[in-house]
Amino acid sequence: MTIQVLAWQALSGLSVGMVLFLIAAGLSIIFGALNVLNLAHGSIYMVGAFICYSLTSTFAHLAGVFWWTLILAPIATALLGGLIEIVLLRRIYAQEMLYQYILTFGLILILGELCKLVWGVGYNTVAVPWPLTGSVSIMALPFPAYNLFLIGCGIAVFVGLWAFMRYTGLGQIIRAVTHNREMVNALGINVPRVYTGVFMLGCWLAGLAGTLMPPMSVVALGADMEVIIGCFVIVVIGGLGSLPGAFIGSVILGLLTAFGIFVAPRLAVAFGFILMIIILLVRPWGLMGKPE
Amino acid sequence: MKEFLKADGKRRRLWFGAPVVFVLLPIFIGEGWLSLFTEMMILALAACALNLMLGYAGMVSFGPAGLYAVGAYATAIFLKKAGLPFVLAMAAGPVAAGIVGAVVGWLCVRRTAVYFALLTLAFAQIIWTIVFEWYGFTGGDNGIVGIPVPAFLMSITHYYYFTLVLVVTALTLLWRIGNSPFGKILQAIRENPGRTEFVGIHVRRYQLYAFILSSAFLGLAGSLFCAFSRSVFPGYAHWIKSTDMLVVCLLGGIHNFAGPIVGSVVYLYVSKLISSYTMYWMLFLGIIVVLLVLYMRGGIMGYLSEKFLSERGELQEKGAGEKA
Repeated sequence: MTIQVLAWQALSGLSVGMVLFLIAAGLSIIFGALNVLNLAHGSIYMVGAFICYSLTSTFAHLAGVFWWTLILAPIATALLGGLIEIVLLRRIYAQEMLYQYILTFGLILILGELCKLVWGVGYNTVAVPWPLTGSVSIMALPFPAYNLFLIGCGIAVFVGLWAFMRYTGLGQIIRAVTHNREMVNALGINVPRVYTGVFMLGCWLAGLAGTLMPPMSVVALGADMEVIIGCFVIVVIGGLGSLPGAFIGSVILGLLTAFGIFVAPRLAVAFGFILMIIILLVRPWGLMGKPE
Repeated sequence: MKEFLKADGKRRRLWFGAPVVFVLLPIFIGEGWLSLFTEMMILALAACALNLMLGYAGMVSFGPAGLYAVGAYATAIFLKKAGLPFVLAMAAGPVAAGIVGAVVGWLCVRRTAVYFALLTLAFAQIIWTIVFEWYGFTGGDNGIVGIPVPAFLMSITHYYYFTLVLVVTALTLLWRIGNSPFGKILQAIRENPGRTEFVGIHVRRYQLYAFILSSAFLGLAGSLFCAFSRSVFPGYAHWIKSTDMLVVCLLGGIHNFAGPIVGSVVYLYVSKLISSYTMYWMLFLGIIVVLLVLYMRGGIMGYLSEKFLSERGELQEKGAGEKA
C-alpha cells in the first residue's frame, strides 16, 4: 500500500465524513438546545436530496441550476423543520426521552412514506455541477473535484457555524439556552422562538447535506435510515450538543470507515459502534463535551 | 370490558373462559388467522420481555431486537448447521440471548438514561452488523432459510398450540417476576434509583438481573419466531425492529402488565387491516404513533384503566357524599 493510496482513501473518507458532519452538526445543536434526540433528522436530509433532484431535473435547461438549488433546497427543509417544531415537537419537550424518540420515529415513517408517494421508489441521479466535473490529481492519482469541494464545504460550514455561535448575539443566546433555559427565559428572551430557530437551523444544515450529496451518490428511499445511525455515532463520539465535537466525530468516523476497510472489510461498519461504546463507557460526555 | 373488571364473579369466569377460547380457537378460524394469532403471541412475549425493563425497571432500551435476533439465530444455526434436536435448539435461544444479555447488560448498566439507551442501540447495531456481514456463519443478508422443524410442528394448528403453551408459561413467569419482591425492587428503582440505593439495594446489580431476564425472554420469542417462519434474516436485529417493539409497548401501555399484550394484538391486527387497503400503511402507522405520543401516552391500557378508575372514583365520592 503506497502513500498515494492512503491519501486518496483518507480524502474519500473525509468527503463522506463532511456530508455526515452537516447532518450531525444539526442533530447536535438541536440536542444541545432542545434536549431532543431527533431521529427524523435523516429524513429531513432525504427530503432535501429529493428536492435537489426535483429542482435540478425540472429546471435542467437553466445554467447553474445546481447552485440555485443549493440555496433554495435548504431553505425549503428549514421551513419544513419550522412546521414540525411548531406543530409537533413543541408539545413534548416536557416529556421523557422515550416519547420524544418514538414521536420522531413516527416522523421518519410519515416523511419516508410521503417521499415514496411524491417521488416513487426509483433511483435518481443528479449530475455533478459545472465547474466541478473533472478530477484533481492528488499525488498522481486522480481524485474527483466535487469531493474536494465537499470537504471544503464541510470545513467552511464548521468555521462559519462556530463563529456564529461564538461571536454573534443570536449565537450567544443559543449557547445560553443550552446551558440554562429558565435563566434565559427569565432574562426576557422568547425561548420557544429560539427553539424554533435552532430546529430550523438544524434542518437547514440537513437540507444542505441533502443537496450536496446527490451528485456524489444517488437519490433514493432509505437514505434516511442509512445516515441517521452514523450521525448518532458521530454525535456521541464528539459529545452530545457539542459543535466542535460533531466535526471531530465526523472526521474520525469518516477515516475509521475508510481505513477500516483495509483491516476488516466486512466489519468496517462495526468499528464506529465499537468506538461509540468505548466513548459512552469511558467518557460519556464525548471527546469535546464537558462533564455535567 | 368494564363489566369484567367490575364484577369479581365475572372476572373469575374470564380467567376460566380465556383458556377454553384459546384452546378451541383453531376449530373456528382459518389458517390465515391462526398464523396471525401465533405471530401476535410471539410479539406479545417479546414486548412483555422488553417491558420488564421499560415499564417495571424504567430502563429505556433502544436495542431489544439485537437480543431477539440472538435467540432466533441461535435456534436457526443449531437446527440447520449443527442438526441438534429441536428441544435443545429451542432452549439454546433463550440461553444464548441470556448470555449475550449478561455481557451487554453488564456494560450498559454502568450508564443511565439517554446514555444507557444509546449503549443498547450500539450493541444491537454490532449484533446486526455481525449477522449481516458474516456470510459463512449467519448467511449474511440472505439469512438462513429452510430451517428444519419436527414434522408434528409443520401444521400451523400444531404450531399454534406449541406457541400457546410456551408463551402462556413465559408470560405467567414474567407476571410472577413482575409482582415478586424482585419486581417491586425494580419498580422502586424506576421511581427513584437514589433512594433505592439508600435503602441498601445494589441498583446496578438489580438492573443487570432485569436486563438478563428480559434478554432471555426476548431470545425465547426470537426462537419461537424462527421456528414459526422457518427462516431468519438480519432484519430481526435492525434498530427499526427495536423501535417497533417500543411502539408496541407504548401502544398497549407500559405501566400495565397486559399493556404490551394488548399492544401487539392491536398493532398486528391494525397493520394487517390497513395494509390490505393501501401500500402506504407505514404512513398510517406514523400518524398513529404521533397521535399516541401526543394524546395517549398511557397507551390503550392506560386509557382504559384511567377511564375506569376515574368513574369508580366518582362513584365512591358520590357514595361518601350520600353517607355524610
